[in-house]
Amino acid sequence: MNRWFAVARGTEVPRRHVGHYLLLGQELAVWRSDSGAINAWENRCPHRGVRLTLGSCEGEELRCRYHAWRFASVSGQCTLIPAHPGQKPASTVRVRVFAAVEHDGFIWVNLAQGESPTAPTRVAHVLDSTRSIFVDAPLYAVRETLLDGYPVDSTASRLAVWSKDAYCLSAGNPDHAALVTFLLQPVTDFQTVIHGALHTTVEETARLARLRRHNAAMGTVRDEAERRAAAATGGGATA
Amino acid sequence: MIRLYDHELSGNCYKVRLLLSLLGEQYERVPVDLHPIRENRTAWFLALNPHGQVPVLDDSGFVLCESNAILVYLASRPGVPDQWYPRNDVQALGRTARWLEFATRLSGIISAARNHDLMQEQADIGALRSKARSLLRVLDEHLWFTEQAGRGWLAGEAPGVADVACFPWVMLSGEGGIDRLPWPAIARWTDRVKRLPGFVPMSGVFPASPGL
Ligand SMILES: N[C@@H](CCC(=O)N[C@@H](CS)C(=O)NCC(=O)O)C(=O)O
Ligand code: FES
Repeated sequence: MNRWFAVARGTEVPRRHVGHYLLLGQELAVWRSDSGAINAWENRCPHRGVRLTLGSCEGEELRCRYHAWRFASVSGQCTLIPAHPGQKPASTVRVRVFAAVEHDGFIWVNLAQGESPTAPTRVAHVLDSTRSIFVDAPLYAVRETLLDGYPVDSTASRLAVWSKDAYCLSAGNPDHAALVTFLLQPVTDFQTVIHGALHTTVEETARLARLRRHNAAMGTVRDEAERRAAAATGGGATA
Repeated sequence: MIRLYDHELSGNCYKVRLLLSLLGEQYERVPVDLHPIRENRTAWFLALNPHGQVPVLDDSGFVLCESNAILVYLASRPGVPDQWYPRNDVQALGRTARWLEFATRLSGIISAARNHDLMQEQADIGALRSKARSLLRVLDEHLWFTEQAGRGWLAGEAPGVADVACFPWVMLSGEGGIDRLPWPAIARWTDRVKRLPGFVPMSGVFPASPGL
């Protein structure tokens, strides 16, 4: 699918950390090189298939946990096979890499292979973002729940949510600019992550309280979407 | 002289080995066979710990069982920096007790799931995994907000026994078939723990590359 999806907030993939993410059933190792390049790799070592998220980020290279083969940032090309240190690894020995960019405060990944990726999605005016919420429900159930309203405050108003497209919904009072944009990440056919981009600022002391309100409201959305998904599949929630 | 009655694959023993190593403490390890010999049920061992479980600490004749109790004791000895058991800061102390309790909840559930997967013990594995998920969600949420407030540790400004008590059971959750993919804030915290000076791994736990 030639489409960009937010998989994480940019600040949540610090240098020297290998993040483990899933997008449309594809397992990803997401990491930032010391020079700042964002990598979204198939989470599989080309040698024996071990998960690269078990490995370690060594600056401009990722090192596999199992036999310590090293792979270069951006290209995924193998640079060193410790068992044959004098030999240059063949150019065919490389990790499968996906297109990845960081903008508007998020890391975006496009799984399209062999075709040039479409222009990335942009979200205007991102000033902060909420904690991303993992939901055990398919994207359509999360979307439907959000479209029914977003309880930004448990006691007061429920914000209306209006649609931009299937993966990107904005919420706010329809007479004003959007307050929050939800970026939906289809994790698998039955799991979704909701990312929230905030479009207004508050002073630092109020910031944490606001993030907590959104976290609670998104948790309510999660619980409702999971309830609907379980009802639709006739009972037991998927593990 | 500190002696630790220990079992390599035990998460509760790993808590104690981890703290001893972070404190730079020399100690003697006495391996206790839990399977198949069940040395932990012999008279000599039951005299040390009537519960018949590891870990047990012997500090020059002072004998203590229960991993959390051992952590509190080790971190409270004179000369150990205050951060590990913040006895002069009541709120940090309260939070420490809270996360030690959390570690106990986590270890009960994750060890049961792990014993089911690795040793074919009877259990309602679906219920265990769903309980583990609820606990990890609470932990991830706490750590995410901690990061937002500019801190990185469970109970205070610095790493402490609360982090040491929770770390092994978070890391061993995969061996009970519990997925940590939904919890990126937990993953970043485990990297921070792995980068503490003196960190030691156990079987199934890998060190991190040096940080920046
Ligand atoms: N509450 C104790 C639990 C210790 C425990 O569960 N020990 C396990 C190993 S992780 C054990 O000795 N099992 C053997 C048995 O119970 O027979 C603590 O935290 O130290
Ligand atoms: S499996 Fe990765 S180096 Fe061998």
